[in-house]
Amino acid sequence: MYLKTGVTPSASGSAYLEIETSAKPGVSGMKLSCSVHGPRALPRSAPFSPHVVLSTHVKYAPFATTQRRGYLRDPSERDLGIHLEAALRGAIIADRWPKSGVDIIISIVEGDQDRETSRSQGDEVWDMMNALSGCITVAAAALADAGIDCVDTVAGGVAALVQAAGDDSKPSIVVDPIPSEHEKILAACCIAYLPTRDEVTNLWFRGDLPASELELYTHMVEKGILASRNANRVLIDCLRETVE
Amino acid sequence: MTTSPPTLAIPGQLLGPSSRFQPGPGTHLHEHNLYSSLLGQVHITQPLRAPGPAKRLTKITPAPAPAELPTISVAPSSAGRSTSSSSVGGEESARTRKKREVLPEVGNVVLCRVVRITPRQAVVVILVCGETVLEAEWQGLIRVQDVRATEKDRVKVYESFRPGDIVRAEVISLGDQTNYYLSTARNELGVVSAMSEAGNTMTPVSWKEFRDPETGVTELRKVAKPQ
Repeated sequence: MYLKTGVTPSASGSAYLEIETSAKPGVSGMKLSCSVHGPRALPRSAPFSPHVVLSTHVKYAPFATTQRRGYLRDPSERDLGIHLEAALRGAIIADRWPKSGVDIIISIVEGDQDRETSRSQGDEVWDMMNALSGCITVAAAALADAGIDCVDTVAGGVAALVQAAGDDSKPSIVVDPIPSEHEKILAACCIAYLPTRDEVTNLWFRGDLPASELELYTHMVEKGILASRNANRVLIDCLRETVE
Repeated sequence: MTTSPPTLAIPGQLLGPSSRFQPGPGTHLHEHNLYSSLLGQVHITQPLRAPGPAKRLTKITPAPAPAELPTISVAPSSAGRSTSSSSVGGEESARTRKKREVLPEVGNVVLCRVVRITPRQAVVVILVCGETVLEAEWQGLIRVQDVRATEKDRVKVYESFRPGDIVRAEVISLGDQTNYYLSTARNELGVVSAMSEAGNTMTPVSWKEFRDPETGVTELRKVAKPQ
């Protein structure tokens, strides 16, 4: 995992994140770049707001995934933007900036996908989870670089319930899953977590689990928090390096 | 308890208990502890001592005044950034020049330029807030009743401001959706720099007049008292 702040000079804050997933050839990592613009004046048509208005844009580059993406934002990218906004809103002290707007723009330069296999249709939803957790981490770094008041550094983490090749084997929980490495993913959750506050600002659960196994749900959330704590360590190291 | 606060802070870092410090800019209070909310350097400012010898107590006051605590604040460090990118000269100057954006707040004295005037108000854009030049332009409004403190009913906006004037004003309200409300109802507030109709920079001659040094023509303004 590689994180650097201050990559875009024209933005008030920016960050770049690279996640290398495995040594397996043909499997690329994820590359994200985030820029934060503002705080700046709201457009004239906007109503009075006593706190900062966040707007988040997440866009896959057309060449980021095996399936070529369009230039317009599609519903899954919009979805990512909404989840990201929810995750960041819990971390920002919004009333320090009345009457102003902050734009957070993330471009996913390279999505985390296996180039060898062509079956990746079903994997896309799980890839979105990994993308969201990367988006949250990189946006937190860019917000800190922009000097926007935050309660804590928020970082994303993913946990997934996977089943190995054999059909009757017991499913296990993995942290930061790589969809191409597992035969079958039963469920996944993406968590945005504030470590010093011990608060979860966003929780996204996907998949089908039997409702009776409540313990499984809490286990997955705990693993997600663990993954987010690991990401946070990288984030803090990077910020410390920036300020020194 | 006795550990000293860190010199560098990242958002969410514990700075100390609220019994030792007062929260300043860039910090926030959570469950009796002070945390940093910005990335930067920690500054501790001691409270100003009351001038002169302490007066003899003539009345009973609450024993420890909370203002006696030092204020702790976090400011983004521009100097720290330049060292990290000192290898690239152009980038370095760009990074050090960049400062954290500030917003006009109620009570701030700002410098603004008059954009247009109507009989009821003057529309201005705020350029400088306190000591810092703003990156974004914020629109402000000086209403006719806020132009001066006396004889408010006789104020005429066109006798006080003209488009293009640079005005020193005080923010009195965050205002509505688009405008900050400003006031010049103080001696030291008002027009600081104005151009005459002939296009020359004028000099103030009285509290309500500017004179063009070349043509000798005087024009009416709400003049700021020179400092």
